[in-house]
Amino acid sequence: MDPQATEIQDEGCYVGLTHDHLNAQDIMNRVRSPQAGAIVLFAGTTRDNFGGKPVKELQYSAYNPLALRTMMSICKDMRAKHGLKSIAMVHRLGPVPIAEESILIAVSSPHRQAAWRAGEEALEECKSRVEVWKREEFGGEEGGVWRANRDGIQGDKVPESAPSIPQDSGEGPFGPVIRPRRPGERGHGAVVHPKPGQ
Amino acid sequence: MAPKPPKGHFNVLYFASAASFTSMESQPLPAPLPLRKLFDALDEKHPGMKDNILNSSLVTVNLTYVDVPEKDDDPNQVIIEEGDEVAIIPPVSSG
Repeated sequence: MDPQATEIQDEGCYVGLTHDHLNAQDIMNRVRSPQAGAIVLFAGTTRDNFGGKPVKELQYSAYNPLALRTMMSICKDMRAKHGLKSIAMVHRLGPVPIAEESILIAVSSPHRQAAWRAGEEALEECKSRVEVWKREEFGGEEGGVWRANRDGIQGDKVPESAPSIPQDSGEGPFGPVIRPRRPGERGHGAVVHPKPGQ
Repeated sequence: MAPKPPKGHFNVLYFASAASFTSMESQPLPAPLPLRKLFDALDEKHPGMKDNILNSSLVTVNLTYVDVPEKDDDPNQVIIEEGDEVAIIPPVSSG
């Protein structure tokens, strides 16, 4: 048994974190019900590139107790909101080779519409809130980068040591901000920071 | 799992970019400490951490998210106590 594998179960909700391979049949069986007319399964798989840059593998880490708590909270919300029979969410941790599943979400409901909607919403909530982090490994001397799922769309590169990005204060010294500020921008074009040590 | 903090200390846990920046997974700091002073205390141990990591991260104390107060003398602010588990939560990226 994987010593770090953890799970919580409560009233038609199951959440888990594991270093093992994910199994689609197992998670479907967790939500299977005679009262359900639909099971929707989402499988998130690891891509071999980020914006065209080749990625060798992905590494996931988590704040296990908090991630499980947040996953359970999402599952309970989804079950109540969409009238689901059951919902299950499992995330894989550690290295995940390209094209393998990093997350599975399964939901069951009496009718398909609610299951489709709940499956999508559960994933979006998970990506924006669950305390799990992805590192893309490029291989060779390049190392890797931690990603961030900001705005629930596409992750941003998180620098390990880089110039600071000013926080958006709403209104800067140059009048109201009418669009999001770009990193380094102060109203007079891009600010080019010298590299540390130069 | 982080080791139990020594007497009179609390643990800070580092994840993702915070762990890379500090090259640590956790670190004990002396308790009690007002939450407002946490970022300065960490920036002192890891110069540049405030600008590069902390200002874009959230903070939990014993698995609950807390607001880092704006003012030093905020009377309602959280005091981190001995044995507490504090965590720096960089922007998440599950899925």
